[in-house]
Amino acid sequence: MPVIDQEKCIGCRSCQTICTVDAIHFKDKKCKIDPELCTECYVCFRMKICHEGAIETQDLAGFYKQFQHVLSDPVETHGVTGVTGRGTEEVKTNDVSGRVKKGEVGLSIDMGRPGMGVYLRDAEKVAMACAKAGFKLAPQEETPLAALMPDLNTGKLIDECLNYRLLSVIVEGRCEEEKIKDVLKALMKVQHEIDTVFSLGLISRVDPDGHCKALEYLDELGIPQPHRGKVNPGLGKPLSTA
Amino acid sequence: MTHSLHRSGDIESQKKDFVWFMYQTKGVNDKNIKPKALEFIAVAEAVGSENWGDVKTGPTVLCSVDEIRNNLSDKSRIRGVFTKREQVVEFLKQIKAKDLGMSVVIAGVLSEVIPACKEAEATPHSINYSLGVWGKKENLPDETTLSITTMCGHHMISPKFVKHVMKRVQKGKWTPEEGALKLATYCYCGIFNQVRCADIIKKSLPETDLST
Repeated sequence: MPVIDQEKCIGCRSCQTICTVDAIHFKDKKCKIDPELCTECYVCFRMKICHEGAIETQDLAGFYKQFQHVLSDPVETHGVTGVTGRGTEEVKTNDVSGRVKKGEVGLSIDMGRPGMGVYLRDAEKVAMACAKAGFKLAPQEETPLAALMPDLNTGKLIDECLNYRLLSVIVEGRCEEEKIKDVLKALMKVQHEIDTVFSLGLISRVDPDGHCKALEYLDELGIPQPHRGKVNPGLGKPLSTA
Repeated sequence: MTHSLHRSGDIESQKKDFVWFMYQTKGVNDKNIKPKALEFIAVAEAVGSENWGDVKTGPTVLCSVDEIRNNLSDKSRIRGVFTKREQVVEFLKQIKAKDLGMSVVIAGVLSEVIPACKEAEATPHSINYSLGVWGKKENLPDETTLSITTMCGHHMISPKFVKHVMKRVQKGKWTPEEGALKLATYCYCGIFNQVRCADIIKKSLPETDLST
């Protein structure tokens, strides 16, 4: 984890300016990283912001600290998903993987984004609310969070991880098209029970005009129609027709 | 890559902001990707991608193109930004003609991206639609700051850093373009649109509260 050598620190506060989650405190004319707030994103270290060379890294002690780092630092590659940081393949390779099939809807719930960070206890609340509404949470071959989730049917996380803070983590999975209304309703409720934000992506196979049936449900629920999208134009091979 | 999809700010401004990606699928076409990645890079450069990069090395606004090319590996992720719809059309046309078999994604305003796909005869297969930000939104930074921080896919740019850059521009120490470039170096993926950022800085400076 990154630490600031108190002997070398001259208190210029440059590192405070670039810290992604406000985890660097200034006290007694020195800067210090709060280990509880730090998400191990390593921006302060990687960008060489300290001209005195006061920012150093120490070994990440234990599985959860390493998990924090791999998910918060996009330069790292997750060992199981093969994707950098906390990312997943979601719609990006759906033309080849066929992960979200016709008649299904996927959700990518990017917890802690934009910019607030997320304690895993809040990710658990969202995962459990979705699972209860009939959402099938993705396994660990597809998404990193599942490594901390012994039972995908409930979304409950391992207790020991709940107080770790990450820059972001994705709650991801899919369900039958007709169930998505229930899942969105569950998200509308649980959003008021968490101490952070999430950016929500709805993934679907589409017709040539870029439409899908799930969008029709949004009006019924009072959710604004999307104006942005990540469009996969089906150039990957072999092309999934699922 | 949350913020290739969930970008903030004025819609008209977002219409000059397209993120492109090449993706390998785990277990299918994720070995020896370098020759194909080089083809993608060549097309993106020819079409005029304003910024691009590989998260394993960095963006073109920070690293040399040769360095990025030389470091390409099977763990690489190649992505970048365009500022014009015509660039998206040309990019898709050329990539489709090359028939490389890698997945391609274009993120942006749907009313721009879908017609661009059609024009390039690349039929949408799947879409990840942005349903926006949910939860404790009252703790988010102001909209101008957010429109800049959300151009980095992984939130490597802090709101305080945006304010810092704005202050330096306001004091005349940097031009908006120089400030935007400084911010862009923190986005390791190369999807930060420094052209749009400079525009946002120019338009917002007189009304932005820089006191915090």
